Amino acid sequence: MNPLDRALLVAARELAAERRHPDGLVAALTFTGLLVLMESLAFGPGQARQPGVASALFWIAILFAATLVATRSFDRELEDDAIDAVLVLDGGREALYAGKLVAISVVLAIVALAAAALSLVLLDLDVALAGHLVLVGALGILALPPVIVLTTLVSLRVRARVALVPILSFPILMPQLIACTQGAAAALSGDASAALGWSGILAAFALVYGVLGLTIVPAAIE
Amino acid sequence: MRRVPNEASLPERASLNSATVVLDERTILRGISLELAPGLTLLRGPNGAGKTTLLRVLAGLAPLSRGRRHVPGGPPLYIGHRPMLLRGLTARENLAFLAAFRGHVASDVAGALRKWGLGGEMDRPIERLSAGQRRRASLARIETEPVPVVLLDEPFADLDSDAIVRLRAAINTALVRGQAVLMATHLHHELDQDATHRYLLEDGTLREI
Repeated sequence: MNPLDRALLVAARELAAERRHPDGLVAALTFTGLLVLMESLAFGPGQARQPGVASALFWIAILFAATLVATRSFDRELEDDAIDAVLVLDGGREALYAGKLVAISVVLAIVALAAAALSLVLLDLDVALAGHLVLVGALGILALPPVIVLTTLVSLRVRARVALVPILSFPILMPQLIACTQGAAAALSGDASAALGWSGILAAFALVYGVLGLTIVPAAIE
Repeated sequence: MRRVPNEASLPERASLNSATVVLDERTILRGISLELAPGLTLLRGPNGAGKTTLLRVLAGLAPLSRGRRHVPGGPPLYIGHRPMLLRGLTARENLAFLAAFRGHVASDVAGALRKWGLGGEMDRPIERLSAGQRRRASLARIETEPVPVVLLDEPFADLDSDAIVRLRAAINTALVRGQAVLMATHLHHELDQDATHRYLLEDGTLREI
C-alpha cells in the first residue's frame, strides 16, 4: 500500500467515526454560528458588513473551529489508546498526519459553508466576486489545518493541550489568517487581482506547512 | 494474504541489544538483551517492573535511551492493556482498517470476530460493547494480522473462561504458523506448558527462568 492510500485510509476511518459521532462537527458549527452572531451584534449591522470586518470575523471563527475539530479528533484517538495501533505500523505516523489533515479539512469545509451562509444572511453581505471568494475559502481551509494538526500531534501527551495548541499554533498561523482575511475582503469588494494574489499565498502556505508537517511528524510524535 | 515466515525461513529474529530506557530520570530498563525465537515467550515480573515498557520498545512505541532494537519482517502486532480500537467505528471496521493498512486481505475479519463470539456484535460501535467484548475484538487481531512478531500485554485481563480458551487456541495457531509471541502476564499458569522461553523482569533487568 502506498503512502497516499494509507493517508486516504486514515481519512476514511476518521470521517466514518465523525459521521457516527459528529462531536467535533457539532461543536464547531455551534461555536462558529454563535461567534458570527455575537460579533455581528457587538459591531452593529453597519460596521459588521464592512468587507474587512466581516472577513476577519469569519476567519477567526474558522480558526477556532479548526482547533476544536482537531482536538476532538485526537481525543478520540487517545481513548482506549487507538492511536498506538496506527503509530506502530510502517508509515503510520505520516498517514495519521496526512489522513487527519484531509478529514479535518473536509469537516472544516462543512463548517465554513454553514458559517458563510449564516454570515451572508445575517450581515446581508454583497459579494462582488463569488468565484474568487470560493477560491480564497477553499485555499484558506487547506492552509489552516497543517499547523493545527502538527501542533496537536506534538502536544498529544500534554495534559493542558487544549490551551497549548492555540498558544503554539496561532502565532504561526497569523500570516495565514491575514491572507485569508485580506483575500476574502478583496473578493467581497471586487478586487480580483488582490484576491488571486492572496489565494496564491494561501496555496503556498498549505503546501509548505503540509510538507513540513510530513517531514517533522515521524520524529515529533512520542 | 501475506505469508508468515516459519522459523526456518525467518532470516533474523526480533531482538533488543543492551536496551536501556530512562524516563523522568528513572531507569526503567537496564541494558536488556533479548532475542525472540519463534514460539511463545512469557514475560513475568512484579507491577511496575517495566514489562509494558519492554513491549512498547519492541513495538517501536517507546524510544530507547541506549541500545538497539531490531524487528525484521515488518512492524509487530502489539496489543496493549487497552483495546486500541477507535471509538465511533465498529469492531469489524476497526479490524478491517488495521488489516488493510498492513496490506493484508481484510475479507476474513468477520470470520475471526465470529470465532471470538462477536458474530452478533461486530457491527455495533466499539464503545457500545462491554470491556470483555472490546478485549475479544482486539485479540481477534492475532488472526486478522498474522505477522512474524506478536506482543501481548496482559491479554487475559477482562476475559471470561470461554475467551481464555479462544486466546489459547489463537496463540497455538500462531505458534504453528511459526510466529514469535511475547506475552507479559501474571497468569503464567494458563500457558506455562506451551511456553518455549520464560523471563523474569525485575528492577529493570531481565533473566531467563
